[in-house]
Amino acid sequence: MSSYHLNRFLFDLKMNESVFKEAMADLKGAVNRYDLTPEEREALLAGDPRKLRPLGAHGMLALYLMRLNPEFRTNVYWSQK
Amino acid sequence: MPLVAAVAASHAPNILLEPGSEWDEFMQLHYRMAPQASSSKPSLEAQKKLRADAEKAFAVLRSDLEAARPDVLIVVANDQFVNFFFNNIPTFFITLADEVKGQFTRHKFHYKNHKELGRAILKAGIEKGIDFSYGEYIELQHTQVVPLYFLLPEPKIPILPIYVNTWVDPVPTPRRCYQVGEVIREVADKQKERIAILATGGLSHFPGSPRIGEIDTQFDHKLLEIMREGKGRTLADYSLKELLQAGDSEFLNWMVVLGTVGDARAASTFYMPDHVATGWGFVSWKLQ
Repeated sequence: MSSYHLNRFLFDLKMNESVFKEAMADLKGAVNRYDLTPEEREALLAGDPRKLRPLGAHGMLALYLMRLNPEFRTNVYWSQK
Repeated sequence: MPLVAAVAASHAPNILLEPGSEWDEFMQLHYRMAPQASSSKPSLEAQKKLRADAEKAFAVLRSDLEAARPDVLIVVANDQFVNFFFNNIPTFFITLADEVKGQFTRHKFHYKNHKELGRAILKAGIEKGIDFSYGEYIELQHTQVVPLYFLLPEPKIPILPIYVNTWVDPVPTPRRCYQVGEVIREVADKQKERIAILATGGLSHFPGSPRIGEIDTQFDHKLLEIMREGKGRTLADYSLKELLQAGDSEFLNWMVVLGTVGDARAASTFYMPDHVATGWGFVSWKLQ
């Protein structure tokens, strides 16, 4: 699956606290650790989860990009899985 | 002992979120992903009524479960990228851990896992041509703990989580899920312990899809009617396309339980669309 690494980054944002913290501090640096296409990288940095699905992100994972959005950072949704 | 009880219940996170601020946060995130769904946003009063109605339904299911005095509760649910990722997606998975834990907001869950029963189902499946995946560690998530909060809040008996792939294409057929249920029933009927089973998920909703917010209430009512008539067997003939078009992919978890109850009629059914994303459904079968 060509979008494997895109989904992997989103999965790690959900499940791996150290990746989440790194992405909060330096999104570009965190994203650069993954084997992504320039298009995927750009979509992640744009912060809009709806741009990810056309690139092959699973909708349930694309949502987790919102964890990085200041408006949603403390959302109750992240306190459950 | 034969299988002593079977229940099925939705696992939508907002069932267990508090009406008011927690629902509002949940919906705010939801509507950012699906702006078109915000037109039907439920008021605080509507949220409270939904919660109260869900509690009433769960009270009936819990009462039926407790009356059957089970020694173990099998929990058939799907993962949603907590335990499984695209490096390995099992179609059917049996938990062989000693214990299982999870957390939902401030609620913590910790149960013993009945791995001996898990192993018996695993072996029976292999003999009958159903090769389950299995593993010795899982983390519980909302798909299990939302119903367990209401049905088994104290870990008085062990559980046995079994996973069905309902969330990553391609998913198994309704018929295959029904056959898995028949294997579980055969094993359950040979055990000395009293066994109950819970399916979670559904009813109609489109998690992670552009169609999120749509609820096919007509299809859900038809499913519930078929279960009340004791004709769950006929649902094994449904095509995947029919289920998926109606947003009922998680009904595949329920298909496993239908395979365990056979032609038994559902004793109680409840249905309430939440006007956010999901048709909440709750069913109990009395098997004794």
